[in-house]
Amino acid sequence: MNFADDLPLQLVRLAARLLPSPLREWGEAAVQEVGGIEPRLEAWLFAIGCLAWAVREAAGSLFSRLASFAAARVTKREDPMPSLTEILERPRTLAMLCAVAATTAGLIYMGLAGAPALYLMINLGALAFGFVTLATLGLAAARQHFRPGVIGVTLGLILLAVSLWGTGADGVTRWVTLGGLAIQPSFIIVPLTAVLFTRSRDALSLLGVVLVASALALQPDRGMAGALAAGMLALAFFQPGRNSGLAAAAAVVGFAVTVARADPSPAVPYVDQILHTAFAAHPLAGVAVLAGSALLAAPALIARRGGRDDEAAYLVFGAVWTALVVAAALGNYPTPLVGYGGSAIVGYLVSLMAFPTRAAVPSAELMPLGQKDEGEDPSPLAFAS
Amino acid sequence: MTRSRSLSTPARRVLAVLAQAAGEWSHGYDLCREAGVLSGTLYPLLTRLAEQGHLDAEWRKPAAPGRPARHVYRLTAAGRQLAAENPVTGAAAARRERFA
Repeated sequence: MNFADDLPLQLVRLAARLLPSPLREWGEAAVQEVGGIEPRLEAWLFAIGCLAWAVREAAGSLFSRLASFAAARVTKREDPMPSLTEILERPRTLAMLCAVAATTAGLIYMGLAGAPALYLMINLGALAFGFVTLATLGLAAARQHFRPGVIGVTLGLILLAVSLWGTGADGVTRWVTLGGLAIQPSFIIVPLTAVLFTRSRDALSLLGVVLVASALALQPDRGMAGALAAGMLALAFFQPGRNSGLAAAAAVVGFAVTVARADPSPAVPYVDQILHTAFAAHPLAGVAVLAGSALLAAPALIARRGGRDDEAAYLVFGAVWTALVVAAALGNYPTPLVGYGGSAIVGYLVSLMAFPTRAAVPSAELMPLGQKDEGEDPSPLAFAS
Repeated sequence: MTRSRSLSTPARRVLAVLAQAAGEWSHGYDLCREAGVLSGTLYPLLTRLAEQGHLDAEWRKPAAPGRPARHVYRLTAAGRQLAAENPVTGAAAARRERFA
């Protein structure tokens, strides 16, 4: 069975993992079923149906558990909810739920603000595409096909090509037009490059960061360059080393160039400035935008702490997405997930590669600081653990 | 006291397929095809039916070596009664015909 044929099975496996514990056996039953479905279209339909079921169940379970937990705290019960603990021990699941919740908040905002229905559909489509991409990357990592250094350089070259030959508007060049859709690749490439660098800091990965920083300086894109700088600086302070220091320096220089250059992009309705305008559209729209934005960095703050590498990944993930929200608040930069724009949704989900499927045992962190720096080949990726 | 509620059309179709199996075990994908429902509809239905005692579910050893064990389903006596009380009607029946 080739890689593409295997995807429906992987989607159902993902669904089985998302399901709450009491339903896990039913998810396993679906996994066994999909393996025997011969027409590929039917296998895909079966897999997508299972994933939709699992997302519904997981979201319902999370909300009910959070409500129970809140009620327990109000009545001063001392015993913590084991089910919540279980969720916190699944950092990637937790982060995926945050992505769904933030995107939903964005749909609420856009619906109340009168955005075209097509915008809502594009965001929903991006959410589905992001999940499929994350599942694909997870599968590649599980099969040891995932080489962060090579991917980092490839991503850097792609972004450089976008900066040189992409679609321009108002003096900046940040987009690629595909099938009538203007995609902003930096929203996918910057977060992914940043979190990959926390797992592998060899020379190729460093080159990838330098290429990305250069591409952002060329565009120019102050918001994305600031996010990359925030992530790399956070990593350099948390896990000092030669390559993490050089990556931070490159990202800061790239950001400085974008600050020095003019960025005349005007605000686009339902994309930029929505943190300022949402309350004017409707009070609930404002609350949805604020809550959705707060959710973006939440997984990094509340996921169960694991080894030091996981800590670094959470830190960089949180720094990058917080910086993007700050950029959206300060300038004409897209508000990730809660505004119109599928690139940010896909980018957020793809960057969840930073999150292990299960929190590592903290004792695994007894590795000297900087061991993965200086060009050594890192230990196998923990992405699929 | 349990509240009596009219069953949805997909639920009636799934019950009808299970009832038609007359005590034989059915697989999930076969139920999807024969009842004309998507997996995202089928599994929540099956879990509810099992919780309410209308459905037996168990793992069945693989028919041939190298094949995975599969989950199989059949109605209990209460499930057969529920199916009899909630037949597929009208357009739903016609739709089911197309998938049978």
